Amino acid sequence: MTRVRLVLTKDLLVLRRSPILVGLLIVYPLLVAGLVGLVAGYGSSKPRVALVDEDHLPQEVTIAGHTFQIQRAIDEVGKNVHLVRLSPAEASRQLRSGRVVATLTVPPGFLAQLKGGLSPPSLVYQTTHGGIAPRVTQQLQALVYALNHRLQSAYVATDLRYVRLIQHGGRASFGGVSYDVLGLDRMHALLQQLPRSPQRDRVSEFARIAAAALGYTGSLLGATANPIGLERAPEASRSSLLSAQVQAYALALTITFLGLLLAAGALAAERDENAVGRLARGLVSLGELVWAKVLLAAVVALALGLAITLVFGVIVQAGGVVGGEPWQRLPLLAVGLALAGASVGALGSLIGALAREARTASLVAVLVVMPIVFLGLVPKQVSPAAAWFSDALPFEHAVRYFASALYDASPWTTVLRELVWLAGLGAIFGGLARLASTRLLA
Amino acid sequence: MSTAEPFLRARGVARRFGAQVALEPTDLEVTGGESLALVGPNGAGKSTLLSILAGALEPSDGTVERSSDVDVGWVPQRPAYYERLTARENLELFARLEGERDARAVAEKLLAQFDVPADRPASTLSVGNRQRLNVAIALLGSPRVLLLDEPSASLDPGQRKRLWEIVDVVREEGGAVVFATQNLEELDLHATRVAVLRRGRLTFAGTPADYRLEYAEEAFS
Repeated sequence: MTRVRLVLTKDLLVLRRSPILVGLLIVYPLLVAGLVGLVAGYGSSKPRVALVDEDHLPQEVTIAGHTFQIQRAIDEVGKNVHLVRLSPAEASRQLRSGRVVATLTVPPGFLAQLKGGLSPPSLVYQTTHGGIAPRVTQQLQALVYALNHRLQSAYVATDLRYVRLIQHGGRASFGGVSYDVLGLDRMHALLQQLPRSPQRDRVSEFARIAAAALGYTGSLLGATANPIGLERAPEASRSSLLSAQVQAYALALTITFLGLLLAAGALAAERDENAVGRLARGLVSLGELVWAKVLLAAVVALALGLAITLVFGVIVQAGGVVGGEPWQRLPLLAVGLALAGASVGALGSLIGALAREARTASLVAVLVVMPIVFLGLVPKQVSPAAAWFSDALPFEHAVRYFASALYDASPWTTVLRELVWLAGLGAIFGGLARLASTRLLA
Repeated sequence: MSTAEPFLRARGVARRFGAQVALEPTDLEVTGGESLALVGPNGAGKSTLLSILAGALEPSDGTVERSSDVDVGWVPQRPAYYERLTARENLELFARLEGERDARAVAEKLLAQFDVPADRPASTLSVGNRQRLNVAIALLGSPRVLLLDEPSASLDPGQRKRLWEIVDVVREEGGAVVFATQNLEELDLHATRVAVLRRGRLTFAGTPADYRLEYAEEAFS
């Protein structure tokens, strides 16, 4: 172990003498983590959907006595999708190419059917195959729900006007003919002026009770249209930029990037500097050399991970962010940082041994990082194959570990499971790196 | 050839790089007190044989036996140390890896002996200083066998003289030296035995006198 420690100390000394490299290695993954967060946030909230208007909707539509500005209504209800008006042919072409993720068609006769009120008309949608189709369907359902909600309000308001007419009387027109409606209130008053009789009293009592009962109609109609409402309570959580998930991704991405690059570059550099031959003569075995690079990645991951967590925590505390930073979980996080770094370092060592040259190894490591990270971002429901690949790599396990270690109320099950994964993957990649390291002597 | 127990014994060692044969099966023994010169044109397999003898390269076939109590120092043709470390740091690191008890003192002694700038990164040293550092590292652990691959190629005459003074001490104290060279003068001055390699094959092994008589003109043709 002394030999491993000596090589590790040498690597850390070499790293310390490359401040620009260290700076880039820290800044670059954090930048990418931020961009990934932005892209992921945008991607999840605004799928591009084609609106095909085959009914040639006018700019203004009056339904149930309410006038709707079509474009404004679309803008207001389409907060979760980016609706773009396209011709049927263009929409179909863009759906095939994936330029839009869905088409929403207003079929001919839609507005007439809606105004008639005899049977509800339907909007028709098509989505791309697989991928995010289920999520787009949800977004479109939300869109139609929002439209229905606005129409229901209009219908309820119209219904209430008629109810009030029956209740209180007044002027109204039906089919272009104007009527003076008596109303229950006035009917009750008129009946009171007639000579008293049991029949009069009975009809008068009915008019009074009916008027009182209709007074509840407004709230009943509202409840019928929306049996369950949804209100947004005041903010009680931290912003998404400071969320547990972003912190976990930032840590995992930084460690993956650093670990792969450092271990791959450092192992291949032993051959570039011609030192590996001198070491392999019995001074340091190839296995010990691989161990030193794995530990290098672990040590750097631990130091940098804790530094990032510290900065993150200070921002959270200084901003008085809801929930605060779970400082008491730092030891648990530290274990994961070191093991995740080692696991990634083992993979990096494998790359370094296979590439044999530091420049090639570094380039390959950079090229490998992005697919590893993006595989980890693909939800299992979207692509099971991507999830399987991701399970065979340390990144996703590191994300789960960090998120659980920092914020789960009972993290032990997740933490132990991911520790086993990280250790297992590290052992496999480390073993493969040791086998491949004979290439360094060739 | 000496009848003493050899420090190094190569039996049928061969090396291939893919389809290319760098060294055909070769037998060679190195005994204490001798200085063996490996000669031959570029690409003859001298560096490959030295790397295999040093243990820095695994042979494709054959074995190398080393006396258990004999340390081997290796001076590869291309310097083998860490460019971002200083000469002192390189020497201290390799001294610790060699198991030297007082690595710092050993490093200081070698720095003084080889007159190498101690505290500049190795990458900034002159070609001659780099080669001297390369040789100095090989002497860590007080090796009884010294394997040198064209050690004086980048040294000026003064540096060359000092190098051979140090190397000759190893042999005079009962150790063994194996060196690859293209320099016939070095062969005359420092070799007790000569081995000729051509296209990966050992074609001659004998005394410098025999070599001069029979193979000198041919070996470099």
